[in-house]
Amino acid sequence: MFAYMIRIALLSLRRNPVLSSLLIAAIALGVAVSTAFVTVYYIYSGDPIPTKSDQLYYVQMDNWNPDRPYSRRRPEIPPDQITYRDMQGIMTSDIPTYQSGMFVASLTIHPPEAEQRPFRERVRMCFADFFPMFEVPFAFGGGWGRESDRGPEPVVVIDAATNDRLFGGGDSVGKTVRIEDRPFTVTGVLAPWRPSPRFYDTHTGASQVPEGVYMPFEFARVFEVYTAGNLLIWTDLEDSAPFEEFLASEAIWIQMWAQLDTTEQRQAYSDFLEAYVMEQKKLGRFGRPLNNRLLDVMQWLEDQEVVPEEATGMLVISLLFLLVCAVNLIGILLGKFLARAPEVGVRRALGASRSVVFLQHIVECELVGVIGGVIGLGLSALCLGVINRLLDNSGQFGLDLPMVAAGIGLSLVAGLVAGLYPAWRICRVPPAIHLKLQ
Amino acid sequence: MIEMEDIRKIYRTQHVETHALTNFTITIDSGEFVSVMGPSGSGKTTLLNIAGLLDTFEHGRYILDGEDVSRLSDRQMSAIRNQKIGFIFQSFNLIPDLNVFDNVDVPLRYRGMGGTERRAAINKALEVVGLSARTKHYPAQLSGGQQQRVAVARALVGSPSLILADEPTGNLDSAMANDVMDLLETINNMETTVVMVTHEPELAARAQRRLHLLDGRLIDLEAEDRPTPLVARAGGAPSARV
Repeated sequence: MFAYMIRIALLSLRRNPVLSSLLIAAIALGVAVSTAFVTVYYIYSGDPIPTKSDQLYYVQMDNWNPDRPYSRRRPEIPPDQITYRDMQGIMTSDIPTYQSGMFVASLTIHPPEAEQRPFRERVRMCFADFFPMFEVPFAFGGGWGRESDRGPEPVVVIDAATNDRLFGGGDSVGKTVRIEDRPFTVTGVLAPWRPSPRFYDTHTGASQVPEGVYMPFEFARVFEVYTAGNLLIWTDLEDSAPFEEFLASEAIWIQMWAQLDTTEQRQAYSDFLEAYVMEQKKLGRFGRPLNNRLLDVMQWLEDQEVVPEEATGMLVISLLFLLVCAVNLIGILLGKFLARAPEVGVRRALGASRSVVFLQHIVECELVGVIGGVIGLGLSALCLGVINRLLDNSGQFGLDLPMVAAGIGLSLVAGLVAGLYPAWRICRVPPAIHLKLQ
Repeated sequence: MIEMEDIRKIYRTQHVETHALTNFTITIDSGEFVSVMGPSGSGKTTLLNIAGLLDTFEHGRYILDGEDVSRLSDRQMSAIRNQKIGFIFQSFNLIPDLNVFDNVDVPLRYRGMGGTERRAAINKALEVVGLSARTKHYPAQLSGGQQQRVAVARALVGSPSLILADEPTGNLDSAMANDVMDLLETINNMETTVVMVTHEPELAARAQRRLHLLDGRLIDLEAEDRPTPLVARAGGAPSARV
């Protein structure tokens, strides 16, 4: 019966192609806009690492000015990055399963081929634990060992795009790439990896793609490179101050993550941080009340308000737009269905019950919805392409399977909203009055 | 086949109340061919609509094929229409988008029959009406007489026990009208009860029994010829019994 209903619905759509096109176009437009913004919202609000988002903790400690809080808007929160000296201090702990301080730098890469020009690349300075902690996938090789952090040894991990650019792709493990004035050996090439949002560093944009190059943190000291992200300081530090003085200062510029798998581990690490801060207080630092925070990934993303208000606003507006599209179709569908009352009368006489007639017309509306939805998804992909270009983050927003399902779901809902009243009206028309008139 | 007792049907608008059937009582036996005549507005079509469960009534009782169908749900009435009743209309009422085969298929679709069974029934019905060669034609490609034969095949295809024909020859010339009447007689000979509304006395005369309606009441013009006398019912309306 369902297949028969689809066939009848298709016949009905073919009967008036202009009107049908109008109906489909309205749904397509609504679905295109709404799916695009649902996708944007989904990318911003999703769990970027669902397998262990409740085991990864962002570490915060309040080393800020004793006379005023870090945030005037939210005076209760500690600074959202830590100092180099505190990172060094807490990295001595062996409680976390994995831990890494990190920041993003901008360094010059020299391609092996002489004719290729050097280029600047965003480089994530981190520790060996970065890769297993964040479950970073590798196409070739792997991350470096913890011993390479200490040297530091000149090793790097590169992503697929950088691998293509430098070596033309393939297994480049063991090859050498010159960064700034030093040769580095490639230990691993990443497989495609795009945590959305990019949770591990929200300061340089949660919608950004991960960096192209990763190297041991301590090369920051070797290169005397400052962060390309956010750096804040509340004490006096002259611009001309030596690098070592900067490292020892109260400047906050490092993101710190720790993997704590159990409640006991978390409690122990929390105690450790408290003890560390109390120790520092004795040295005259941490003049504010004790205020350490460990937030898991989703808490951290919420705290950072990663979902922009604009994204939420656009989501609501786009869904309202789809609703308006669907509501506008009610009148058109009502006219279309009522014009077919004589045929419905015949079908009723031949044995179609009210519920069958209702379902028949709902199927037709849903067919309009699905066809419109498929076209709308195509338009939505184009729309997301434009958003990607506007935000310059090269493909961050795209339609994956859940979003395609969401688009089809929205189109079905729109079809239902548009069709419920007209289908109800047509199924209530008494069959007898049209049989004589047809 | 049909037992109606004291049926009352009133059409109401904001200002007017029209009594389409008044204290209407009738019995039609299985296998009868009954014609219904009467002037416009006398209640012929209302009678057919009520008999075909296409319309409801305010008062009375209706027994169809031994089952009280006076107060059934829409789903139950639809199932009875589908299984027991075939309709033939003056304007054929074929669905223009469907070809002959698919038009005849419609009632079987609502019965949920399997494909093979449906095909066999449709081919048989089209054979009865002599349109086996036109299965792929659309209604617009057929003459009026052919369209009405398709409608007859559609009424026939589900092997109903009752055929209700509302002026089936009203839009046909006399030759085509006779063809359709021949078909109705053929169907009646297959033990199917036929109730036909018509304005044409010569066609009505081909029925075994002629009923006449006036102002929603039954008038038995054949009283003198009939072995069974009229029985005056409590509602005051005359009734006929074969």
